[in-house]
Amino acid sequence: MKDRLLLLGYAIAVIAATSVHNPWWLAAGLLLVAVLAGRQAPTIGWRALRAVLFFSLVISIGYAAGALFGQAVSLDYLILVNIRVYLLIFLTFTLAAKIDILRALSFSRNLTYLVTLVLSQIIPFRRLFEDLRLAAESRRLRRLRLRERYLQSAAAAVHLFDRAEHDAREIALAMRSRGFFQPDATDNAPGD
Amino acid sequence: MHIPDGFLSPQTYLPAYALAAGGWVYAARELRRRVDETLLPRLAVLTALAFVLMSVMLPLPGGTSVHASGIGILAVIFGPWLTFAVVSLVLLLQALVLGAGGVTVLPVNALAMGLGGSVAACLGYRLLAPRWERAGLFAAGWLAAVVPAAMVAVVLGLQPAIAHRSDGQPLFFPFGLSVTLPAVLVPHVILGLGEGLLTLLVVSFLRRR
Repeated sequence: MKDRLLLLGYAIAVIAATSVHNPWWLAAGLLLVAVLAGRQAPTIGWRALRAVLFFSLVISIGYAAGALFGQAVSLDYLILVNIRVYLLIFLTFTLAAKIDILRALSFSRNLTYLVTLVLSQIIPFRRLFEDLRLAAESRRLRRLRLRERYLQSAAAAVHLFDRAEHDAREIALAMRSRGFFQPDATDNAPGD
Repeated sequence: MHIPDGFLSPQTYLPAYALAAGGWVYAARELRRRVDETLLPRLAVLTALAFVLMSVMLPLPGGTSVHASGIGILAVIFGPWLTFAVVSLVLLLQALVLGAGGVTVLPVNALAMGLGGSVAACLGYRLLAPRWERAGLFAAGWLAAVVPAAMVAVVLGLQPAIAHRSDGQPLFFPFGLSVTLPAVLVPHVILGLGEGLLTLLVVSFLRRR
């Protein structure tokens, strides 16, 4: 329940942060989120800063450069948009640190199962992808030509597809053997 | 190509959520109708695969590379609705688990990349493949990169007109269509060539066996 409330609170906070156009209110919101983040606030704040820095700088510099071409440029806008972007990213990182995503999505059984399966599959896929990359790297005696690099990327993708097909069949069999696909199985699923 | 959080107005992302929700419901019905009991595991594994496919490097001349999207490949093999569902799930997980992207931009990114990209890829492929199979595959990958970029550029470029103060000062993304269209489209028209080539190679390899 706590996680679902957190998710709901997050959704409301996001709509509020994009509906308020006063930088002071947004700054107050940022302070509030930092307090809610507790001891993790400096870590989350630094991660959020790194995440927004490049894009925000590009937009801000591009906007400010408009002054060189005689366009009206407002410092208020720069402050407003940068505080808002930082607040939203800080808020999202705080949520990601505090929430149990599976519990938060438990309003839908199928979505919970789906996300559980996805999360359990991402790690082996990432590991396999990294293994393929390292294997190719270790067998390389010279810098590959563009054509060879494309063939290598395509071969890695094909292997990942093969693995995906195989894993999907295995998981379906495992779920069937545990009675998941019987009509009443999901209705009486544990944890509901 | 993701739009970061904070640059879209609620007047944009709230209707986009309504539109995307309709798409998600339709996609779920369509998939249930077409796919058997393996739907759930298949969707999960393909989502994980798409998550990782987005880490596959698209080689660029000069030894550099960028991330592929894999949308053209998924669209040609599995069709637009499964691709839309998978890409939406990837974006949801990126937003909530990794804190990447964001929830305000999720529906626009999902509609652009998952639906616009995959529908364009399928149409391009179906149009060309009967006569020129390889050209169809290449076009699918190229369109899957370029069409979402165009959609994102339009949505971003409309922000100053949609949300601004009475004096005309923008409240969200500051640049209009005259800036966003060339800035977003030109790089993607070129990157799309790589995406097209990767789609052509991967799908050809998969079908050859």
